[in-house]
Amino acid sequence: MLLQVKNLKTHLSVSNETVQAVDNISFEIGKGETFCLVGESGSGKSVSALSVIQLLPTGIASHPSGQIVFDYRHDDGTIERVDMLRINEQKRRKIRGSRIAMIFQEPMTSLNPVYTVGDQIIEALQLHNPELSYGEARQRAITTLEQVSIPNPTERIDEYPHRLSGGQRQRVMIAMAMACEPDLLIADEATTALDVTVQAEILRLMRELQQRKGMGILFITHDFGVVANIADRLAVMRAGKIVENGTLNQVLLKPQHPYTQSLLAALPENLKKVHRSSDEPTFRSIDASATRKTSNENLVEITDLRVYFPIKKGVLKHTVGHVKAIDGVDLNIKVGQIVALVGESGCGKTTLGRTLLRLINSTAGCIYYQGQDITRITRKQMQPFRRKMQIIFQDPMSALNPRLTIAATLTEPMAAHGIGDSKDERLALAHDILSQVHLEPDYLWRYPHEFSGGQRQRIGIARALVLNPRFVVCDEITSALDVSVQAEILKLLLSLRRERDLTLLFITHNIGVVEYISDEMAVMYAGRIVERGPTELISARPQQSYTKKLLAAVPRIKI
Amino acid sequence: MTKGQTPPSKPPRTSEHRNTSRSFSAIVLREVLSRWGARLGLAWIAVLVMVAVFAPFIASSHPLLVSENNSTTSPVLRHLTATDVALLAVFFCTLFLLFVRTALHVKFLILLCAGIAASAFSAMVVSPPQLVIYEQYRERQVAGHFDWALFAPIPYSPKDYLRDHGETGLESPLAEKQRTHWFGTEENGADVLSRMIHASRIALGIGFIATGIAMIIGVIIGGLMGYFSGLLDIIGMRLVEIFEAIPTLFLLLTFVAFFGRSLYIMMIIIGVTSWSGYARYIRAEFLRLREQDYVQAAVACGLPLRSVLFRHILPNGVAPILVAASFGVASAILAEATLSFLGLGLVDDPSWGQMLNQAVTSSTFNWWMAAFPGGAIFLTVFAYNLIGEAMRDALDPYLKKSSM
Repeated sequence: MLLQVKNLKTHLSVSNETVQAVDNISFEIGKGETFCLVGESGSGKSVSALSVIQLLPTGIASHPSGQIVFDYRHDDGTIERVDMLRINEQKRRKIRGSRIAMIFQEPMTSLNPVYTVGDQIIEALQLHNPELSYGEARQRAITTLEQVSIPNPTERIDEYPHRLSGGQRQRVMIAMAMACEPDLLIADEATTALDVTVQAEILRLMRELQQRKGMGILFITHDFGVVANIADRLAVMRAGKIVENGTLNQVLLKPQHPYTQSLLAALPENLKKVHRSSDEPTFRSIDASATRKTSNENLVEITDLRVYFPIKKGVLKHTVGHVKAIDGVDLNIKVGQIVALVGESGCGKTTLGRTLLRLINSTAGCIYYQGQDITRITRKQMQPFRRKMQIIFQDPMSALNPRLTIAATLTEPMAAHGIGDSKDERLALAHDILSQVHLEPDYLWRYPHEFSGGQRQRIGIARALVLNPRFVVCDEITSALDVSVQAEILKLLLSLRRERDLTLLFITHNIGVVEYISDEMAVMYAGRIVERGPTELISARPQQSYTKKLLAAVPRIKI
Repeated sequence: MTKGQTPPSKPPRTSEHRNTSRSFSAIVLREVLSRWGARLGLAWIAVLVMVAVFAPFIASSHPLLVSENNSTTSPVLRHLTATDVALLAVFFCTLFLLFVRTALHVKFLILLCAGIAASAFSAMVVSPPQLVIYEQYRERQVAGHFDWALFAPIPYSPKDYLRDHGETGLESPLAEKQRTHWFGTEENGADVLSRMIHASRIALGIGFIATGIAMIIGVIIGGLMGYFSGLLDIIGMRLVEIFEAIPTLFLLLTFVAFFGRSLYIMMIIIGVTSWSGYARYIRAEFLRLREQDYVQAAVACGLPLRSVLFRHILPNGVAPILVAASFGVASAILAEATLSFLGLGLVDDPSWGQMLNQAVTSSTFNWWMAAFPGGAIFLTVFAYNLIGEAMRDALDPYLKKSSM
């Protein structure tokens, strides 16, 4: 075994408060094996990984018990069994980077922006292989960049990180980790921030490199799709403990522990099956019939919409060019429909959602709400439409004003639109809405920082609903949430939609969610809609090459 | 619950629910107060405020109470000036408002109205005697006219030159046996401690008012620049650059030369020349917060512009300028001290800087004239810096994380 973690405990203590972040976990990773640690946020996955490589801040972290036994391969090839918890810092530093390497989640911030890509790889190389000359190290860096499929490595090696895309940066991070040919690679949510197509490439690359070099991989993720693609064995973590541990097929197909079962059941692709197999008529079937009845009327329609952001330069800020965020989009959303807008980051889907609500002004084209042109009307004329069209945001942390109580957040829009005659009446209405999104009514007097992400997202939904809108833009509302919370929010949204007869534009990059929730989907690429139609049709038989590529890249659980 | 159902009764709003949640500002306040530096700084400022407000009762040649021919009078009260009365009124109003539970901006508004009303009222009603004879009480007490008299802890007014004691002049602390001057006297014979106590008003006033003016101008201009950007931003930034190019001290010198020496002109000029920093901070905050989801949500809900700007953006962006303001108060105090030290400050009223000037212009070096006012300036500036530092730490999430 390459790595054996035995009964590891990691305690984090901050000012007299001790958190048992990792509580008695054991696992092992063999040579050439990929081991996945899966769990929801806060379950202790990252702390486990950082304990293995011993990168936790020394003042805070302590290990009351446990062993981390690692087969340390010396430069001459002899292998020594060391316990990472008990060797001195000097030896740990030798092991880190050269024998155990780590890739972090955020590709944008894990490279130093003031050094070229090459400098950073070469520094790591020369540190661990002092006998290498600069020329040799550079040659080796170019080879590793080539291995991670960076185009034109001889030129790209002298680029600064900001000239590379997110996927390329993550590849450089992998190249850096690979350069010293480690025996164990720890990837902490290494692909989470990337688009699915890029993620698919990175995963393929990691598998390839693993086969070639025979290294062990400790892969940390919350995405079961990725797990199904890459793992040999996996462990499910919850509250610092490993609740289930086994081979891929054992855990995914025959989960034993109720927590694993509930996690798998919460996946969007599994949600649908539960709905369809149940005897009672589901929301979807009711909705589908309702949609058919009213589907002739367009609630929102946009024609040839363009949003260009000027690029300005100089003292007087004259325009030198445009970023074409949306470049000629036609879209109509029928009453009662859920239309999903799918695309990768930077394709303009968020801009489109905000432009629809006149939060961003369009450069050209028209937006109609129930046949009325709202593209150029004034702030005052827009007021009645504000009540009808609402938005729910992606990041529940920044979507609520931290200085206002929930009561203030919910009642202020009502007051602005003259809903409810007195403050007490508005409070009673807010109280109602909170119970509709399944929150306790006394939460009204709390501040946003006192809630969890899922609760805040419910409050965000409540705020969108206080004005009783007909059309709601949901901008990636579940992408910052754990799967189990995501499932709850999606179910809530579907039931609210049925109760309140809502029409939704659901913006997301998660194909599983799209297939679960939407009636129609529109695929966006580089500011244009490339394909649009009923969800089942497109996901089964995509016509455009981009849609095919996108759908193929989605990591799925093959069952 | 469905839409048709009647709304339930008014949700409970008990003190218990209130207590379970703490607003962001309450957390920051607690964080600030948990730091020793801030506590010391605030304690010094509080002492200074008390001293400044109650100056006529602490240091005055007029007895607090006097009994003469079986009638008790209070000469101090008779000699209170309009400023004294207005200050006292505002102080007690603030004290009262601290215990009233209303929104912060309502309190502010009440305080502002009370301040204006009190100043106007006292300017009309209060008329102290034009001619003040400081030594009369001492002479009458020596002559045995009084049954009894209660004097202030420091029985000398700042402009009482002790004519009844003959040719007085510089005296080092506690030099004279029959009169106690804790901090000695200046060259005309006036008590240094008494002058310092009365000068604390100028130090505090100039700090607060000049910074207040600068903050108001800075927030308005910076907020408009940040929220609307575009052409307004370009014009605003050029204005900021112009004002940053003007050296405050030279402008002050010029104004003093043209308009004579007035405390109010000094306050206004220090305020008008130092707003550019605040405008920059606020502009940056507004530019950042404008894109925040909750601001977008407020716009999407159709809230009026006033609410978006002042309810959703400003409270979230005000933190950095509060920090800057506490340093700004310190630098305004220093600017006034510098001017007075250069001999361009106020003529009549004592100020700490002017006392330092006296210390160096006299023929001999008198340590007590330099040490005590200098120490007061140092402590006050230091206190504001401590408060500023504590606020910055409390508001900065990165520093907090690293100190864990």
